[in-house]
Amino acid sequence: MSLNTLAQALVSGALLGCFYTLMALSFSMILGVTRGLNLAHGDLIILGGYLGYWLWSGSGLHPLFLVPVAAAALLPLALVWHWLFHRLPEPRELSSLVLTFGLSLLLQNIMLALWRGEYRLIASESLTGSLGLGGLRLNQGRLIVAAAALLVVGGLFLGLTRTRWGRAVRATSLDRDAAALLGINVDAATRTTFLLAFCLCGATGVLFATLHYLYPAGGIELTLLAIVLTIWAGVGRLRSVLAAGILLGVIEALTLAWSGPRWRELVVALMLLGSLLARSGGLARGWSH
Amino acid sequence: MTRALLEVEGVEAGYDDVRVLHACSLEVRAGEFVALVGPNGAGKSTLLKTITGLLPVSAGAIRLDGERIDGLPPYAIAARGVALIPEGRRLFAPLTVRENLELGAFLPRAHGQEEETLRLIFRLFPVLQEKALAPAGVLSGGEQQMLALARGLMARPRLLCLDDPFLGLARLVTNRFCQAIREITAEGMTILAAGQHVRRLLRLAHRAYLLEEGHVVLSGPGTGLLQDERLRRSLIELIPGGVDQPTG
Repeated sequence: MSLNTLAQALVSGALLGCFYTLMALSFSMILGVTRGLNLAHGDLIILGGYLGYWLWSGSGLHPLFLVPVAAAALLPLALVWHWLFHRLPEPRELSSLVLTFGLSLLLQNIMLALWRGEYRLIASESLTGSLGLGGLRLNQGRLIVAAAALLVVGGLFLGLTRTRWGRAVRATSLDRDAAALLGINVDAATRTTFLLAFCLCGATGVLFATLHYLYPAGGIELTLLAIVLTIWAGVGRLRSVLAAGILLGVIEALTLAWSGPRWRELVVALMLLGSLLARSGGLARGWSH
Repeated sequence: MTRALLEVEGVEAGYDDVRVLHACSLEVRAGEFVALVGPNGAGKSTLLKTITGLLPVSAGAIRLDGERIDGLPPYAIAARGVALIPEGRRLFAPLTVRENLELGAFLPRAHGQEEETLRLIFRLFPVLQEKALAPAGVLSGGEQQMLALARGLMARPRLLCLDDPFLGLARLVTNRFCQAIREITAEGMTILAAGQHVRRLLRLAHRAYLLEEGHVVLSGPGTGLLQDERLRRSLIELIPGGVDQPTG
């Protein structure tokens, strides 16, 4: 493997890692505040991607402008999900699986009806071209998208750790009753979490669609990755999620560069298995308190 | 007589279909340390959860400074100045000691005094300052209990409720903890504490209530109650091995 390939792999791995982080964060935030698993999570991201694709092919706008648009477009769905999750019967962990599995199938079929089964990509010309950097040739589009993803991750981290509402959301996701006793309006924090998580899904979807082909059933794999990362990192552990996301992205990209796509899924599965054997995971610990 | 800070009047409450409290009444005056004792399952925790709004009231009234607070959501009751250090501490384990304390000062009324309260707390519990950047989950049991109490104090409450504050603490740690509570009480904090360490609580308390099967069956000054026959019957015979550790 040449130095150039290695550097390319590291950059695209880190970029993928930012996606994974965004994906896992929004997933685990909802898990934290509701104790419910959202199996339609990946489908929502794909939906965001399709919305971005649809707007881009209609308007020709720069994909980065479409990131906030797709983010805002998913807000009404956040309220629907919040309303449904609010009415989940106990045990919530289980009933959320049934509910969101149904919602996932529903979303997939709506997307199939609207955009058919063809593969779609936001192949904007503004994202092609490469950049020379000390003898390395890096894909310019990937760098722009990586910068956007990093910006979102950074903004989210600042928001969750430094602002009042961010602290309220984190506390609520860690322990609802304890948060309420400190004067935090946990119902409002839950609604905020849904709105924020769905914005993230929309934004992640558009960024994802500039790099990966969209197809209606593509969300399943994303949901699984979000679950894997949550098991690794635990609920409400921001730095762990970032570390796990970037690690997964880099390992995946290195595997791709080294051996091609056939080993990719196997390596991810082995990493999951290994980490589960090495320590009982964060997901279980996140629930235990 | 001064008006009570907290008045609980004929309160009935419980979980979904099990009523735990029956016509429960008590009051806490400003500056008092009031202990709530009783056998397991008497409704001590239920009463504290009902006062703080975690459980709904099905009959009766709860007043803070004369104003009804029953029926309000927990955050609104907290905003009026009632804090509860819940059973089992309920710290935010992955967050640092400092972050836990900052969350304690979430309410606007506490936020402005955050730095001042922090200084006070670090004087009371120096170990929390030493471990300010450690995740709360790695502290020892005693340190966690101090952090739970400190987090409650950060809210600058008018009424501090403690649910089984000495549960699972070693005797030495309990001694230090009692000392801290004495200091807080001396500074004028109003405290309502429930728990199974009857002797400890009654020695700290100005007044105490004995709760049995959801009723207040006895009340009086803490040390007086300690001598009471009914309390002895109720607790000493029920709990094998006595009310407390022998020296407790």
